[in-house]
Amino acid sequence: MLTIKDLHASVEDKVILKGLNLTVKPGEVHAIMGPNGAGKSTLGYVLSGRDGYEVDSGKIEFDGRDMLGMEVDERAQAGLFLAFQYPVEIPGVSNMEFMKESVNAVRKERGEDPMTAAEFLKVAKAACQQVNLPLEFLKRGVNEGFSGGEKKRNEIMQMILLEPKLCILDESDSGLDIDALKVVANGVNSQRDGKRSFIVVTHYQRLLDFIEPDFVHILADGKIVKSGGPELAKEVEASGYAWLGEHQEASA
Amino acid sequence: MSQWLAQVIDRASTVDDWLNGPRQQALATLKEQSWPTRRTEAWRYTSLHALENLALPAAVSEDVSAPVVAGLDSIDLLFVNGELRTDIGAIAWPEGVRVSALNAADASMRDAAQAVFNMVKPERHLFGLVNDVLATEGVVIDIAAGASIEQPIRIINLATAGVESHHRVLVRLGDEAKATVIEHGSGSGASMNTSFAEYAIGKKAVLEHYRFALHGGAVIHMGGSHFRLDEAAKMNSTLVGYGSEVSRIDVDIHHAGEHAFAKFNAIYLLAPKEHFDLHSNIEHAVPNGTTEENARGIVGDKARAVFNGRIHIHRDAQKTLAELNNRNLLLSRGGYIATKPELEIYADDVQCAHGATVAEIDEKSLYYLQTRGIERSQALVMLNFGFIQELVSQMPNRALADWLAPQLRARFEAMESR
Repeated sequence: MLTIKDLHASVEDKVILKGLNLTVKPGEVHAIMGPNGAGKSTLGYVLSGRDGYEVDSGKIEFDGRDMLGMEVDERAQAGLFLAFQYPVEIPGVSNMEFMKESVNAVRKERGEDPMTAAEFLKVAKAACQQVNLPLEFLKRGVNEGFSGGEKKRNEIMQMILLEPKLCILDESDSGLDIDALKVVANGVNSQRDGKRSFIVVTHYQRLLDFIEPDFVHILADGKIVKSGGPELAKEVEASGYAWLGEHQEASA
Repeated sequence: MSQWLAQVIDRASTVDDWLNGPRQQALATLKEQSWPTRRTEAWRYTSLHALENLALPAAVSEDVSAPVVAGLDSIDLLFVNGELRTDIGAIAWPEGVRVSALNAADASMRDAAQAVFNMVKPERHLFGLVNDVLATEGVVIDIAAGASIEQPIRIINLATAGVESHHRVLVRLGDEAKATVIEHGSGSGASMNTSFAEYAIGKKAVLEHYRFALHGGAVIHMGGSHFRLDEAAKMNSTLVGYGSEVSRIDVDIHHAGEHAFAKFNAIYLLAPKEHFDLHSNIEHAVPNGTTEENARGIVGDKARAVFNGRIHIHRDAQKTLAELNNRNLLLSRGGYIATKPELEIYADDVQCAHGATVAEIDEKSLYYLQTRGIERSQALVMLNFGFIQELVSQMPNRALADWLAPQLRARFEAMESR
C-alpha cells in the first residue's frame, strides 16, 4: 500500500525528516507516536504533497505509484486521505457543496459516475449520523464556527464519504473529551475492513485505547527510532519520551 | 457642461407638480454643478463620456414581465422605465401600510412624501439632483408606527432599450415599525435611467432592505439608496450589482439617533468590459452607533470596479463602533479595481476598523480543498465564488438568497471560462 524509503524532507530549508522508513500493508493500522517537534505532522503534509514541504531525497510509493510526481488532488483521488489536526474554516463554501465536489472528483478517478444531488444527500446524511453531526452542518460553510470536536468529526465524516485506501489521522484526538474521542474512534473503526490502511499520528496513547494499532512506531528527530506492537504505546504512556534523549545521543 | 445636462435643465422647467418647492431648490443647486471630469474626486474612476452626447436608439417593445423569485411571497410593484404598471388599489395591503404612486399621492401621502423627499439624500449627488428635478414617477410607502409588515414589498424597475427614465422611491417607517423593501432593477438594452430611494427609519424601527441592480449591456444606470436612522433604529441592507456600460450607485447611511445599528453588505460581480461604481458614505453624527459594512467584488476581464467607502465619525459621536471591509478578486490582468476606504474620525473614544484587499486567495483553504481530491482550478472557483456566497448566505431572506446564489454562480462561471 505505502512504502516510504529513506525520506528526507525540509520546510523552509529546515530539515525535518531525516531518513524515515515505513511500510504499510493493506488493512494494517500503524500508530506513529513521538514528542512535539519530531516531525509527526510534517510526515502527513509531505505525504499529502503540500506546497513548501520539500522532499530532498528518498522515495514514496503509494499503491504501486511513485507519489512524488503527483499533485495534492491527484494523491487524494488515488485514495490518500489526511485528517487534519486543525481543519481550516472556509466560510462561503458549504460543507455539502464541498463534499459533493470532492466525492465526485474521487469517483471520476475510480471510473464511477458522479452522484446526483439526491444520491449524495442520502450518503451524506448517513455519514453525518455516524459521526453524530447534526444534518444542518452540511449546509454550513466548511468548518465555519464548528467547535474543535465538530471539526474533527467533520474530518471523519469526509473520510467515510471518500472511502480512501489509506487514511492518515493527524492528532485526531487532540482537544477532544472522552465522548468525542469515542465518536472519532468509532468512525475510524467502522472503516476498518481489512483492506483500508491507517496511519494514526498521536502524541498520547489515549486514542490507541480505542483504535487498536497493529504496529507502533516512535518518531524522534525525523526518523523512526523504535517499532513494536501495541505494547510499545503502553511503555510510552508509562515512561514518556525522556528515554529518547539517551537514544538520540547513542545513535548520533 | 454636457449637452445632456443642459437638456435636463431645460426639461426640468416643464415639470410642474406638488413637489415643485423642493424641485426648484434642487434645480438651483443643479445649475451650479459643473459636469464631472477625471479631476472631480467623486468621479475620478468613472467616465461620463457615454452620457455627454447621449443618443439612445429608438425605443423597442420588450418583454416587461416582472422577474419571478421562486418562494418569495412578496407584494410586487412593477415599474417599466419608471412608469407604474401595477394597480396599487387592487392590492390587499396589510394593515399599517399606505402606498401611493408618486404622481397620484393624495394630501396625506404628500405629507408622508414631503417628510422624506430630499430629507435623507444629501444634495451632493449630481444624478440625485437630476432625479430630484425629473422624477415624476415612483412610489411613496408609509408604514405606521408599530406596524410589523411580514410580506416584503418589492419595487421592480425594468429599463428597456431606447428610453431615458427617472424613478423615485420614498419610504417612511414609523417608530417601532418593521418592514422589508426590495428594490429590484434590471435591463440590458441601451437606455439611461436614474433611480433614487430614500428611507426615513423611525425610532426602534427595523428595515430589511435589498437593492438588486442587475443591469448589463449598454445600460447607463445612476442610482442611490439613502437611509436615515433615528434612535435605536436598525437596518440590514444587501446590495447586489452587475456592471454595465456605466453603473454608479451611491449609498448613504446617516446615524441621526443614538444606538442605531446598520449592517450593509455589497456584492458586485462584473462580466468582461462592464463598469460598476459604488460609493458608500456612513455618517455617525451622534454617539453609540454601530455600522458593519462588507463589500466584496469579482471583476472580469477588462471590467472596471470602483469602490469608495467613507465612514465619517463626527466629533460628538463617541462610542461609535464601525467596521468597513472591502475585498476584491481580479479574474484577469485586464481587470481593474479602484478601492478607497476613507475614515474620518473626529471623536476619540471609538472603535473603527477598515481594510481593503485585492486578489488574495487563502493558500491554506486551497490546499485543504485539494487534499479532498478537488483540482486546483475547480478549488479556485469554489473559493472565489465562496467569498461572495458568504455575503449571500448572510441575507436574512432565504428565498432571495436561494434565487440569487445560482444566478451569481452561473454568471461567475461564465466569467471564469472566458
